[in-house]
Amino acid sequence: MTPPLLVAEGISKRFGALTALTGINLEVRAGEVLALLGDNGAGKSTFVKVLAGAHPATDGTLRMDGVPVAFSSPQDAANAGIATIYQELALSENLSIAENVFLGRELVWQVAGVPFLRRRAMQERVADLLHELDAHISDPDAPVGSLSGGQRQAVAICRALNLNARLIIMDEPTAALAVAETRKVLQLIRRLSGRGCAVVLISHNLSDVFEVADRMVVFRRGRKVAERTRAGTDHEEVVSLITGAHPDVRALEQQQS
Amino acid sequence: MRRLNQYARAFGRRELTLAGASVVAIIVFATTSPYFATADNLATVLRNSTELLLVSLGMTLLLAMGSIDVSVGMVLGLAAIAVGRLLQAEIDPLLAALAGPLAGAALGLITGLVVVFANIPAIVATLGLLGVYRAAIFLALGGGWLSGLPTGLTTLLSSKLAGIPVAALVVAGAYGAVWAALRRTPYGPHLLAIGQSEDAARLAGITVRRTRVATFVLSGVLSGLAATFYVGTYRNVEMTIGSTLALDAIAAVVLGGTSILGGRCSLLGTALGVLLLRLLQNGLLMSGVPSLWQTVVTGVLLLTVLGLERVGSFMPSVRRAGRSV
Repeated sequence: MTPPLLVAEGISKRFGALTALTGINLEVRAGEVLALLGDNGAGKSTFVKVLAGAHPATDGTLRMDGVPVAFSSPQDAANAGIATIYQELALSENLSIAENVFLGRELVWQVAGVPFLRRRAMQERVADLLHELDAHISDPDAPVGSLSGGQRQAVAICRALNLNARLIIMDEPTAALAVAETRKVLQLIRRLSGRGCAVVLISHNLSDVFEVADRMVVFRRGRKVAERTRAGTDHEEVVSLITGAHPDVRALEQQQS
Repeated sequence: MRRLNQYARAFGRRELTLAGASVVAIIVFATTSPYFATADNLATVLRNSTELLLVSLGMTLLLAMGSIDVSVGMVLGLAAIAVGRLLQAEIDPLLAALAGPLAGAALGLITGLVVVFANIPAIVATLGLLGVYRAAIFLALGGGWLSGLPTGLTTLLSSKLAGIPVAALVVAGAYGAVWAALRRTPYGPHLLAIGQSEDAARLAGITVRRTRVATFVLSGVLSGLAATFYVGTYRNVEMTIGSTLALDAIAAVVLGGTSILGGRCSLLGTALGVLLLRLLQNGLLMSGVPSLWQTVVTGVLLLTVLGLERVGSFMPSVRRAGRSV
């Protein structure tokens, strides 16, 4: 078996007196879709923020390819190959698809110290990425403001891939999408994992999760309470794990209290 | 692609409207005043547009970035005093000419640092600076005027290169350079991304603060350059210098289709907006309307355009909210 892409060991996060995460151990492998499940306030979003470099962990270590890493900013995490697709998509509607994909990382050639955009090269790269993702967007020059929700997700994913992301975090990527759009985003997630990119997915929609996730991790009150493969569980069990009705979770929580 | 064409057409429509309105204004004023539609007078309108063309170019960038600077008139005033004092000291006119943009750059840097690092909304910060700069002008002039300045600079700026007036060359050069910076370098997408959403721009890894300060400096340089032309033309600096300039510039830029909320701009629109504004002001004057009405017309024009944009954008924004994003 290949070594895990990312290993979290004993990750804890406290905000003053509030403990948001306690001793989270978790692995993510290349090309795997891992779903984080749990009720509101269970700690999923805090955990992915630690992975994304938005919050530093209070305790614990993160390893990428076996090497310990410490992220003090999202930029650090991005440089290590972890990209986050934000829920309120951080795209500029007034710019074109290609401009968005390369924003802040434009390809340029220098003339007397002045950086000039290599528009053609950027357009071609974006057209290739869109084609690879089968995103059904033909014109990299179209303004992002004219795209549908699912197409915007595709653009955000292109941007992450273009920055050589090896792990993409998606927080509720389908929450605001219509059914047909949701299907497209789920296809995108599969295609990403097919490319060898790991995806960490937060979703409240269990049917979406059962469709794309290889593995599921359940969070409850800041702890990881269960881990299941898709083949080894079903809807009902996952729901009982999330709500705490499952005997394993009860036993665990009695033992802790 | 179709969508893109729609955008292109929508943008082009504003510029066509302005060009059409200018033609209509010329025809109307030609009937109300026998002195309006003469080659001499129209040349004067163009001449009188030089400073506003330069200041509005900087204002276009600021508005596109979601910023604003209401102190540009005072920046022009202070830079004009610098140029005037150097002329009085009988310094080489070319060096005095360069002092304008240099002083403008320094003031733009101050404005930019205050807005960006004190993290004060640009309209409030520049309103405060307007008060400070106005007092500085008063102190520098000591309550009097700089007048009867030496003619060296005037000769320099009213000369022609290959039959083209220097002012036209400088204005065309400035617009060309800014156009190239917007369309051909990363500065363009960075500026527009900041104008659309500063947070998103920061997340994308853009050095937001540096870009913002640089844009204020650039706007300062353009206002300072305008000061050089002002001194060259009028050979005096009066106490009330630049008092209506910010209003004129903002009106011209908004008229030209640049969004007051940021994220969108049109350089051609700005140039046409300036020309229309100056045509209206000159035409009213020629038709015997007291000059007090000029600012009324400018203000009403600004409010009308903003009001129409609000109404116009009401429909699309409803549609956008309904879309699944």
